Amino acid sequence: MNASNEMTGKKLSAKTKGYLLLFLMVIVSWGIFKVITPNNFGSAKNMVSYFEASLLAAVGAVGFYFVMVMGMFDFSIGANIILSAIVGCVFANRFGMGYVGLVLGAILTGALVGFLNGAFYVKLRIPSMIVTTGLALIYESVANYIAGGVEQTLPSGLRAFGQMPGNLILAVCAFAVAYLLLNYTKIGTYTYAIGSNEFVAKNMGIKVNAYKILAFVISGAFLGVMAVLTISYGSSMVAVTGMASMSRNFIPTMGCFFGLAFKKYGMPIAAIIIGEFVINIIFFGFIALGAPTAIQDVITGFALLIIVMLTTKVAKGEIVK
Amino acid sequence: MSEIRLQVNDICKYFGITKALEHVSFNIAKGEVHALIGENGSGKSTLTNSLAGIYQKDSGTFTLDGKEVNPANQVEANNEGISIIVQELGTLDGLTVAENIFLGHEDKFVKCGIKNTNAMNRKATELLKQYGFDRIKAADMIENYNFEDRKLVEIVKATYFKPKILVIDETTTALSGEGREELYKHMNRIREEGDTVIFISHDLPEILRLSDTITVLRDGIYIDTVKSSDIDEEGLKKLMVGREVSGKYYRADYGEEISDEVVMKVENVTVPGLISDISFDLHKGEILGFGGLSESGMHEVGKACFGASFDREGKVTLADGTEINDIPSAISHSIAYTSKDRDNESLVMNQSIRDNICLPSLDELSNKAGLLSDKKLYEFAGIHAKTMSTKMQSVDQFVSNLSGGNKQKVVLARWIGKDSDILVLDSPTRGIDVKVKQDIYQLMDKMRKEGKSIIMISEELMELIGMCDRIIIMKDGRINGELMRDENMDENVLISKMV
Repeated sequence: MNASNEMTGKKLSAKTKGYLLLFLMVIVSWGIFKVITPNNFGSAKNMVSYFEASLLAAVGAVGFYFVMVMGMFDFSIGANIILSAIVGCVFANRFGMGYVGLVLGAILTGALVGFLNGAFYVKLRIPSMIVTTGLALIYESVANYIAGGVEQTLPSGLRAFGQMPGNLILAVCAFAVAYLLLNYTKIGTYTYAIGSNEFVAKNMGIKVNAYKILAFVISGAFLGVMAVLTISYGSSMVAVTGMASMSRNFIPTMGCFFGLAFKKYGMPIAAIIIGEFVINIIFFGFIALGAPTAIQDVITGFALLIIVMLTTKVAKGEIVK
Repeated sequence: MSEIRLQVNDICKYFGITKALEHVSFNIAKGEVHALIGENGSGKSTLTNSLAGIYQKDSGTFTLDGKEVNPANQVEANNEGISIIVQELGTLDGLTVAENIFLGHEDKFVKCGIKNTNAMNRKATELLKQYGFDRIKAADMIENYNFEDRKLVEIVKATYFKPKILVIDETTTALSGEGREELYKHMNRIREEGDTVIFISHDLPEILRLSDTITVLRDGIYIDTVKSSDIDEEGLKKLMVGREVSGKYYRADYGEEISDEVVMKVENVTVPGLISDISFDLHKGEILGFGGLSESGMHEVGKACFGASFDREGKVTLADGTEINDIPSAISHSIAYTSKDRDNESLVMNQSIRDNICLPSLDELSNKAGLLSDKKLYEFAGIHAKTMSTKMQSVDQFVSNLSGGNKQKVVLARWIGKDSDILVLDSPTRGIDVKVKQDIYQLMDKMRKEGKSIIMISEELMELIGMCDRIIIMKDGRINGELMRDENMDENVLISKMV
């Protein structure tokens, strides 16, 4: 097959092509809003702040990617973020553990929630969507109980992760860990193997159920980091109930779609980071326009569908579910 | 007597109430190619899958070099010195070639939890070079390669660690001539090094040519072990089927006139990148064969005729002038199609035999109000499954639990039930035993006599020669020759036009 050299060439250019596509999306989304509302959108300073805001969801999305690649889903993302943020805040504030309490409390809570999601999913043999929806209700109630129905506020002296450079450092550390796990450990290989064909993966001696639980734990821990960034950025967190936490699922999930769409270019983590940035550009663009929330949601939804459709390019005849 | 490598002792395996293996016992020697043959559903793959850790046997023991082995999965089997190349695709998308080769064995490249991808790629490259598969790149994603190249990667994966026993389960049908030669080379190397190959194939001449010893299974029961040098093809058939297989294997008629009535006209059909400017007529009561190398485009011709090709140009027209451009119109105009890729393109694996057989006939089976009656569906599926002598517990059985040959019977039963007039059969006997093959050939002959028209696409030249009124040979996506049925035709005539 003389195509082998071409193939190697294609692979190298695929990554470049992926980056070009993503940067093109950044430029196009910035350009559109810059033209419509030139004065209050898209300055260099604004772009940095949009990027900072996008780091929050990007951190959660890189973790969630492990779950989605395996073909599972998690509807408890929002509840996990709220619970982890509240526990982190309580550890930091009420127990006087400062930053250590905030970071460890949130990450460990996130990981525990992930473990419960994975364990219930594996043991009950119920689709992950249903399991995590049920558990989300429980996590919301637990968060509400811990918070005592009161908004939890992070003291001003503990908000370093809500601004530069603290937020960037924490996010970069999280991205590096995700990159390392995905590319330089067995976990990454097994994640893709299980996502590709669970039966064959099992026959290769992979403990499929253990790795599924691990994927949820990793996802949960990253959502814990997202919780730290979220409460630091917004300074407080309210424990909601009645599945109101679901609204927080949307943006990390969208970033994850970018990761899945760009997986074929061999750069899912970068795609998630840049993808979340694009989503935030669109989001802040609408705010600059003063568009009503309903219109914002409609157009953001369409933008997501168009972006994923244009980037995924499913082969003809390939079945999409 | 050669030294014993593997003792298969009293192995039993059940799938629900189906007895897949019943007290199977025999020995396999060191330094031999030991063939395992039998009809579809005879238990060959169940036995080797149990040995390789894919299935867990219910009772009995495997003793390898005097030590009992009971692997829980393929990696444990590998560690015991047993490896397997499976019938269907055994590599995983989303991983590189190197990751596929070392899947389950990454630990040798992991230090402090960190995988040394470069070292893994280097080792895989070295192996691929050793095997002569340099064109396959270790760092490439496996999905960049076609089915055959992926099978070659599986050969490396299964043999690089020099297993004591290599199981090759019906792999040769997935390979072209070149790929087969590579596989044969490695089988011989393993034998010369004193290790053992368990070889499963339905191609009896191939079995006789390559193996030293042959064990025959029938309906999950051990029948006999014979030396290849002591038996011929007819003898093997008799052992497999349990009686003489009648001499009438292919069609016996020659010199019959093909009807002038054209039932399907294919004009200038092109599918970009696959086939180019294909034109031919299919006549009433004709079996029209398509032959060629696997990548010659012949498989796409079948899809194009069934309206299943994407971006197809040109025309496929029926006798009444109807143009066939999509699958629903093909089916509603009495065209049937069986794909080479049975599991993925022809069958709904996690549905019952009943559902699979009734699927295209639901309109006919529903009443005026559009409602379906269970009784009617059972009767319909039962009749057609029985016509094809499908080995099953009941029509409620899931198709995924059937052997390859019985799956093919379900596919054919579906179209017999639909009473299609034009049948496009792509590799209808792929991976199928001699008895079912004979049944399929006889069915095709019967259909031909009833005035049905058949396009038969096959990589098996002998069946094309034996069954077809005309044979069109494809090369590089184009028609490269057409031959009429002739008693004196041999494979070389076809091969000369294929390559």
